[in-house]
Amino acid sequence: MASSCSQALRHHVCKSNRILRVYLQKSWPNRSFVLSSAADQPAVSSPEEIVIPRKKTWSKEAVLQALASTVNRDPTASDYRLQDDPYLTPKTSSEFKLFSLSQESGKNAAKYFINTYPKYFQKDYAQPHIPCLMPETLEAQIEEVSEAALIERIQMRKVKAAVDLYDQLLQAGTSVSLDVTNQLLDLICFYGDSDPAQENVPEQRNEETEDIQDEPQAKKGRAPKANDLLKATWKENNNAERIFALLSEPNPHSYSALIRGMVKYGAYSKAFSIYTDLLNNRLKADVHTFNALITAAPEVKEKYNEKWELIVDLLKQMAEQKVKPNLLTLNTVLKALRRCGTLGKSQAFPVISEMKALSIEPSLASYNHLLAIFYKPGAPIQGQTDILQEVMNEVSGKSFTPQDPDDAQFFITALRICLDTKDMEQAYRVHELLGVGENWRLLGNDFQQNIYHARFFSLLCMMENIDVVLKWYRDLVPSVYYPSSNVMRDLLQALDTDNRLDLIPQIWKDIKQLGHGNRQKLVEELLTLMAREKHNQEVQESLAECALDIKKMYDAGDRGKVMLSWTATSLSDLTSVLLAAQRRQDAWEMLKLFKAHNRVPSEELLNKFLTCIKDSGDVDQAVELVQITAGFCLPETPKLIQRVQQEFELSEQQKNILSDLELQTFNSD
Amino acid sequence: MCKNMATSLVRQTKLLSIVTSQFNSAACFRNIHCTAACLKNRAARIRVGKGDKSVTYEQAYHPHDIGHRKGWLSQHTSNLQGEDEAAERVVEDVFIRRFMYGTFHNCLADEVVIKRRGNLLVICAMMIQKLLPSKFYFLIGYSEELLSHFYKCPVKIEMQTVEEKVVYKYL
Repeated sequence: MASSCSQALRHHVCKSNRILRVYLQKSWPNRSFVLSSAADQPAVSSPEEIVIPRKKTWSKEAVLQALASTVNRDPTASDYRLQDDPYLTPKTSSEFKLFSLSQESGKNAAKYFINTYPKYFQKDYAQPHIPCLMPETLEAQIEEVSEAALIERIQMRKVKAAVDLYDQLLQAGTSVSLDVTNQLLDLICFYGDSDPAQENVPEQRNEETEDIQDEPQAKKGRAPKANDLLKATWKENNNAERIFALLSEPNPHSYSALIRGMVKYGAYSKAFSIYTDLLNNRLKADVHTFNALITAAPEVKEKYNEKWELIVDLLKQMAEQKVKPNLLTLNTVLKALRRCGTLGKSQAFPVISEMKALSIEPSLASYNHLLAIFYKPGAPIQGQTDILQEVMNEVSGKSFTPQDPDDAQFFITALRICLDTKDMEQAYRVHELLGVGENWRLLGNDFQQNIYHARFFSLLCMMENIDVVLKWYRDLVPSVYYPSSNVMRDLLQALDTDNRLDLIPQIWKDIKQLGHGNRQKLVEELLTLMAREKHNQEVQESLAECALDIKKMYDAGDRGKVMLSWTATSLSDLTSVLLAAQRRQDAWEMLKLFKAHNRVPSEELLNKFLTCIKDSGDVDQAVELVQITAGFCLPETPKLIQRVQQEFELSEQQKNILSDLELQTFNSD
Repeated sequence: MCKNMATSLVRQTKLLSIVTSQFNSAACFRNIHCTAACLKNRAARIRVGKGDKSVTYEQAYHPHDIGHRKGWLSQHTSNLQGEDEAAERVVEDVFIRRFMYGTFHNCLADEVVIKRRGNLLVICAMMIQKLLPSKFYFLIGYSEELLSHFYKCPVKIEMQTVEEKVVYKYL
């Protein structure tokens, strides 16, 4: 056996690489001594060391991931959920929402059919089996009154049915095990004693509004918000408390379920009383209970230091009971510190360093709460710009996974701070962080994404020059973001600051496409910008075209509905733009509109018009202009008449008309 | 002599008609071919008519032009050497075509093209812009979900819309 072993060894040594030889040298010195000296010689003669690395194993999707990393987002395409066709691409944010929601509702309709007629979808072609493509059972299968039936209903999230079954079981005399009762308590406390199905929502709202009328008066410093009225609250003597009371020996899990349910649905003081019960029964609470209590702490105390003392007390008890805190503990403490005023600023960093000492890495939610503690919305910035920078230093280049629901708020909060402090560099860093790894998942739902992009774009318009702004504009709009009319106004301001008013016609086209063409303020601002200065010929031409296009927006639509109403300024601006491009005929039409909409033209407009007419030398039109002006009974009429008399060569008839008009105005004065 | 021939012919046809009428009784339904059979190909062909019938490119070219002037409407690998389940693919295709025809009522501008890439089933359809885009998306979501659950594989619809059916020529 020893000889065969040595033979195998020699074979192995000859075939293997140098590293293996090195290992063998150490383990079998007598045998490999001879071999190594012979084998080592060619290795020693070669100049560089060849280190052959360990064999790497690749996952099955490695090639696909490598290919995917070479492809960037296509700025000309719309969202991946939608079809790639011009007719089916949304142009405004409401269209985008409509299309994606209608696709979802189609999917729901199909799911309804699949679950209602499951017998047509039972044939299984897939190998291996794909469970998510099989029809779901919506009705509970087990009918008899037993524990297994209760477990089934709990798994199907049928709250009311489970509670009824539990009552039936107790009445029948069969005892239900503690584990199953705990699961039932979990279910009830999570869903707040009502079924999670969507059809119940309209009924719930009627019940809740009666209960909640007492609630808002109890909370002093916070006005009742709309979503408070819609959220369910913890009712008195509901099923959870009743079942809990029926338990002979509740274990920590039951207490935990009840406390967490109470805190979730707003019964904070009750939660604390249940906690004292728990302590009186000499049981230990787990980390989730403590997290829930810390969430409830700011609600039960009024003063900042009292709140903080309660939280410190709870943390001390946690340490006594040897319960290890987790990430959610850190986040709830920081969230509570947001409500502690100045105390929060002093205590935030010590908390984070203590948690780091316990090897709890802060997530994006922790950083979000930190930023919210130091940068209160609406409060003046007092030289605290370092905090954001420090946070970005910590966070840059890391890829985060979702660990807390508040993670999604980080990017929005960070950009709000950048917007308030006008910090472009940090904003770029925040945007870069979004591109790292999986962080794009943490941007939140469509509404939050919209807020993020709106803030980013507004900041860009304020801070950067027009080329950079337009580069980002082409990148983001409309593939990722559909700007609102306020953001378009910011963009117009940016164009104005950099004197690029020649780009206005393009921007107007985009505004129309985004569906903001009927916003009064936006259009008026556009017109004012166009009319303000004199540009060179071609720019003026394009502006005139744009102005005529805008005019169409003011006319009544197909159904006779008027979207925009004329004001004196908008009419004057439009007319002056047309005049500047020498379009007298169109400007003449505009003058008639003045009368039709009961608006009065300004003096400079009339003077400009006269100058324009003088350039063309049409005397009749000049006289007509004076007549129209007289019709408005403007105080400038005599001056205009004088001007016409001086600058034009008038025929007898015209002179008579003018002198009549002069007399009229003189008399009316 | 002509009269004799005529009468014999009449007698023969009468004989034939008696024989055929006996054949047409409940016992058997086989007819006799009296003329030579006309062996014309009629598959997937629209015959030339007065010139008022509009015809798309797909309909205008006949099956012998597949591979030359037309592509394939259904693309899968089960017709290669050593691959099986070709018949199942055909049945699936027929079902999918009828499903698309029925779900998108009167909207299809041309035949549906079905492509299979691995596990994925891609249905490429060209539609007339008859419905609002939101209605199209509803039907797309519905079809994708239903067909995925039916065939236990991911189904994607790639849709393209045109204003009207694209006419290639008039036959």
